[in-house]
Amino acid sequence: METKFDVIVVGAGPAGASAAYTAAKRGLKVLLVERGRGAGSKQVFGGRVYAAPLREIYEGFDKEAPIHRWVRKERVSLVDGNRMVTVEYESDQAASFTTYLTQLTSWMVDRAVNAGAVFVDEVRVDSILRDGSGRVVGIDSGGERVYADIVIDAEGVNRLLLEKLGLVEKTRPSQVALGVKEVIKIGEDKINERFSVAPGEGVSWVLVGAVTGGMPGGAFIYTNKDTVSIGLVVYLETAVEMVEEPIHVMVEKLRTHPALGRLWADGDVMEYAARLTPESGYRYMPRKLAAHGLMVVGDAAGLLLNTGYTFRGVDYAALSGHMAGEAAVKALEQGDVGEENLRSLYEKPLLESFMVRDLRRHRGIEWFMSNPEFFKKYPALAAGVASKLFDLEGEAPTLLDALRSSAKEHGLSMFRLAMDMFRVVRKL
Amino acid sequence: MSTGEAKPKLIRVEDLLQRTVYDVDHRAHIVVDSEKCAKCPKKPCTYLCPASCYVLVDDRIVFSYEGCLECGTCRVICPMDAISWNFPVSGKGVQYRFS
Repeated sequence: METKFDVIVVGAGPAGASAAYTAAKRGLKVLLVERGRGAGSKQVFGGRVYAAPLREIYEGFDKEAPIHRWVRKERVSLVDGNRMVTVEYESDQAASFTTYLTQLTSWMVDRAVNAGAVFVDEVRVDSILRDGSGRVVGIDSGGERVYADIVIDAEGVNRLLLEKLGLVEKTRPSQVALGVKEVIKIGEDKINERFSVAPGEGVSWVLVGAVTGGMPGGAFIYTNKDTVSIGLVVYLETAVEMVEEPIHVMVEKLRTHPALGRLWADGDVMEYAARLTPESGYRYMPRKLAAHGLMVVGDAAGLLLNTGYTFRGVDYAALSGHMAGEAAVKALEQGDVGEENLRSLYEKPLLESFMVRDLRRHRGIEWFMSNPEFFKKYPALAAGVASKLFDLEGEAPTLLDALRSSAKEHGLSMFRLAMDMFRVVRKL
Repeated sequence: MSTGEAKPKLIRVEDLLQRTVYDVDHRAHIVVDSEKCAKCPKKPCTYLCPASCYVLVDDRIVFSYEGCLECGTCRVICPMDAISWNFPVSGKGVQYRFS
């Protein structure tokens, strides 16, 4: 007997789980298929999630979701060797929280199942099926076929299925970045003490400069309940050209960095993880986000915002999944799952949403993301200025003196400095 | 600056991978064409695979899939198109818990 669903969702990450949850809650017959064992076992992210979109999707989110710490301190550091200049912003508002994506995703899948979705794990989807006229009709896993009116592709950043369908080209190094992460257990009290935060409150910390050996990218540190997540993100296009030592050595150098390592030196590394992320979402977005019987959500749709000081992937993924779930409900009510209708029900509102507006607005970030000088000279300049101001042995210089002489040491004229600053401000 | 503390040791990649849980499949989910690797001038996989699945031994690439973190980097950076890449089947492979 042929099994047929209203909707099949491929991939139970934040995007897929949210699509399944929304569609099932609205009464559709939903199958959520996941290649991993159990929910969340293939999930990796940096470490923090913006809450507002998730509150829109999941009732009782703040109370029930596995939230580790609300981010109350934002730090950005420019690192030059063992020196760094750090800016810290502290607020009594918290828009984002830290967690493990393995836990958060597992919670989302539970919600989808409670809403009535059928969850099947340990199933790797090998292809999305089309009929003779090119309409998507189901999925194939190892020769077993399951059919649905709509397939939602939430396969993630490695778009094997969309490539096979010919909807996207093979991923290029210029489109993605590699994130490598360690989770280190140091205990809840020690985190509160060493990061000067109250219980339940945490730090998000982005570092740029020597931490990536001057390669475009950066490092991150997030405080979880009793662990810290630390890691690196490097842009593959420039990394291929510039990398001088293995990436796992670079992450270990971050862990043992003289100015940082003392924060977790007595901790145990609990897990080592890696993933690719869309570099600048807009660049990784497929030409179209829907076809007959198909919608594309989350990382597969290139929905990740990187402004250089903050990354938003999980909430974008969840919201796009939610929007696709709603579009599926409407399309099936109308009895029209054709490309034109799905594009107007899903793609159009998505492109008009704050997510894609923000992706467009921050495109200028690509300029200095792909400008290696920025990651070498400016951290050195900032640290040089700070050193001249604070490592005093004789006469104290004025700020301008310090800037001028540090700029000279790093081969930057004041004019060049002013021009670069002007460009950065304009691009951001 | 001298604090008198011993310099902390870097953990070797084979020990880092021990911190992560795997259910290794007996079938490889990635297949590498070593003839193409032999002609590759830069071999970026030897630096950028975070699990160090690609190791240079006597100028030749030796590949092992067991420690693969399933990130997809090698597939994207390989200049020789030498890698047939897929995810493991049946829930095998890496089992993340705290990421």
